[in-house]
Amino acid sequence: MATPKELSDFLAAVERRAFKQTAYAVRDDHAALDIVQDAMMKLAEKYGDHPAGEFPMLFQRILQNTMRDFWRRQKVRNLWTTLLSSFGGNDADGEDRDPLETIDVEDDSDEPSAQLARSQTIRLIERALEKLPARQREAFVLRYWEEMDVAETAKIMGCSDGSVKTHCSRAVHALAIELKKQGLDKLGLSSAIFSK
Amino acid sequence: MNMHKDNMTNEKNINLMDGNASSNLVVEEQIARNIVELLSDRAQRISSAEEQRLLAARNLAVNRLVDLQAQAISEHGINQSGHVLGWFGRHAGQYFEQHRVMSATLVVGAMLLTFFAVQQFGFNNNLENSDAFLLASDLPPEAYADKGFDAWLDTN
Repeated sequence: MATPKELSDFLAAVERRAFKQTAYAVRDDHAALDIVQDAMMKLAEKYGDHPAGEFPMLFQRILQNTMRDFWRRQKVRNLWTTLLSSFGGNDADGEDRDPLETIDVEDDSDEPSAQLARSQTIRLIERALEKLPARQREAFVLRYWEEMDVAETAKIMGCSDGSVKTHCSRAVHALAIELKKQGLDKLGLSSAIFSK
Repeated sequence: MNMHKDNMTNEKNINLMDGNASSNLVVEEQIARNIVELLSDRAQRISSAEEQRLLAARNLAVNRLVDLQAQAISEHGINQSGHVLGWFGRHAGQYFEQHRVMSATLVVGAMLLTFFAVQQFGFNNNLENSDAFLLASDLPPEAYADKGFDAWLDTN
């Protein structure tokens, strides 16, 4: 059985990564914080009696499932919103809606012009990661960021080892292409893949 | 002879493909590592509000675990000595065994006290009822006190 200190240390070590990973997936920082908190509570409640060595895998599995629950709820909510808005007509709404609000602007206002190239690179990578398909992002994050092996990643994702390798490979290529579009190949991230 | 050549060519192709595949894998790994390094760096720099929120979430989870473990320990203690009623019965039984005379005296005293209280309440109640009857009657109270009244009533 894990002690409260072991749980606290483990959560302290993974919470920031978990938050950022979730934020890339759901694209909403507040929702990401809620999801991470839910996952932490579930780990403590349901798996607190497991040894601390099992926490990384259990936590990742809980986190991925909590994200999926979030997407499901969002899907249902969006469906109802679409149905209700189409039922109610869009005359009144159309007047109130500002088209500028729905445009996906690049939020660079909080980044000072003198910020380091590293920060800009990270921002570009984050955007590229957000654009990845969910399964590819999940495989990439688990395999490379959480440093899990192929079998562990496959177990968490509920697929075969081969699928994990395929998802990871596609994710890296998609990221490389996306970053090349942004001119990131000139920043020396990896000249090898871009020259292919 | 031709077949042998073909086999050699195929083997060469396979070796080349294997080489390309492994070099691709290495390059992929390298890119992934570079990207992850930058992402890890970014993850360390979150806002103080987000940091506080994560700290609060972590504390909630740890407190929950502490509660659950305390609950499990207390449940384990009760289970060791049987269920709660068994525990109470055993302890109450021990008390009565050790203080048999005292317990019997207490029970008898309580019964006597209850008996006298009921008696006292009943007597007072009867007295009040008889007084009320006399005062509310058609005849004056002196009529019931006069011994000659009954004799007079009989003759009339």
